[in-house]
Amino acid sequence: MFISGFIYILGETLKGLYRNRWMCITSTGVVMVTLLMLGLFMLVNLNVRHITEAVKEQVEMVVYINEEADRAAVEELGQKILGHREVARVEYVSSEEHMGRLQQQLGGMLEGYDSALDNPLLASFEVRTEDPEAVVRLADEFEAYPGVAAVFYGQGYVENLFEVTRVVQVIGLALMVGLAVTAVFLISHTIKLTVMMRKREITIMKYVGATNWFIRWPFLLEGLLMGLVGAALPLGILNYLYGSSIEWVDVNELMFINLLPLQTVMAELAIYLVPLGTGLGILGSMLSMGRFLRV
Amino acid sequence: MVEAKNLCMKYGKGKQLALENVNFFIDRGEFAFFVGSSGAGKSTLLKLIIREIKPTEGVIKVFNRDVGRLPRHRLPYLRRNIGMVFQDFRLMEERSVYDNVAFAMIVTGSSRREVKRRVPHVLNLVGLQDKAKAKITDLSGGEQQRVGLARAIANRPAMIIADEPTGNLDPGTALDIMNLLRSINLRGTTVLVATHNRDIVDRFRKRVLYLENGKLVGDEQKGIYTNVH
Repeated sequence: MFISGFIYILGETLKGLYRNRWMCITSTGVVMVTLLMLGLFMLVNLNVRHITEAVKEQVEMVVYINEEADRAAVEELGQKILGHREVARVEYVSSEEHMGRLQQQLGGMLEGYDSALDNPLLASFEVRTEDPEAVVRLADEFEAYPGVAAVFYGQGYVENLFEVTRVVQVIGLALMVGLAVTAVFLISHTIKLTVMMRKREITIMKYVGATNWFIRWPFLLEGLLMGLVGAALPLGILNYLYGSSIEWVDVNELMFINLLPLQTVMAELAIYLVPLGTGLGILGSMLSMGRFLRV
Repeated sequence: MVEAKNLCMKYGKGKQLALENVNFFIDRGEFAFFVGSSGAGKSTLLKLIIREIKPTEGVIKVFNRDVGRLPRHRLPYLRRNIGMVFQDFRLMEERSVYDNVAFAMIVTGSSRREVKRRVPHVLNLVGLQDKAKAKITDLSGGEQQRVGLARAIANRPAMIIADEPTGNLDPGTALDIMNLLRSINLRGTTVLVATHNRDIVDRFRKRVLYLENGKLVGDEQKGIYTNVH
């Protein structure tokens, strides 16, 4: 009985898919298009996050040291900053090194200027924080330390950068949630149509004494298969599109567009899209069948 | 086999009672007609027997079990012992005659060997042995109802319930279907038929339970439609 039931369920699943092939193609198409849009957006979002994180990583602050501070005071200040739990890295830059950098930046403009005699540039500590966004707060804190002349971190620009990345992330998240909700709505309605078309069959099954699980299985398997195909196809398309984008960036030598590697992105997308597709297929079947089983 | 005690059914608040204090007992192997005009409560009574609906008050016992209190997961096992025949046949039109009958057996867990042996036998009983491969849409109304009957008896149920089984058929075909039901009854299966077809009821002289506005107003052995009324 178990084997004949299993064969029947499997057969019914395949027959159901064939008999309602146009409806199944439509449902799978809906799953595919929504997951493709969702995947496309996730792809953009992942890369935007990656690029903004990379920009954020470059945020650092420069703590200028008072001219009057002696060697011991400088060392003490250095230790104090390094000892702060939110600080990741501290690098001492002497006034001579600053002058050297300046001369390099300005090229020949400072030719003949003897920096050993008159160097107005202050020595500094270049500080990287664990969380780039902490620089704004830490700058205020470090400014109050003895021996500190001033603290710079690109005031104004950094706040704007953080604000923009925050807005991009919030919009990204909102759009992804919106797309996921749309996907659930579209898929459950499409599967509901499939189930409604087979309402007669379900009612007859109930009258002849089939158990609810016996009725559910073929529909669940159908939903699962549709969801799986609906997720696999967008993954294939996205794999091709993203691969081409990476190639295009390479060919055009647009090195400032720092895209994530293909495998990393596809693995991340598969982790979300495959369970989402199959889950939506099964959930859609379950939700749309409930009413018809109460006979 | 089927027992109703003070059975009442109301479909919604403020609505009229579809059944009011109905009491009867139908024994194993009986053939009974539920008669009455449209809206008298015949279909409601049949729906209560197969627990498509629950009674508002009173008790309906089928195979000695209070079906109103039967847990939902036990319903399939109740229905496997009851063969249903409908006025609109309720067949799967895109499937063959054989598949429609086999379907009832497969979904209730019969083995493939059992299905292969039993389906030709029941098709033979209803006179459709040559139409096994035919599509439902290629059959006449009478033939479609025969398929409905074959499906109803496929699982060897203890009882057949037929709701207006001749409602969509011409008089000659209706008589054929009723004769089939009688022969099924003669093999020991209890048969309950809801109908308002006077000719059929009067011709068969079986037990007649007459319903009017939800009340059981007559119950006569070997009755005729007119007498009971």
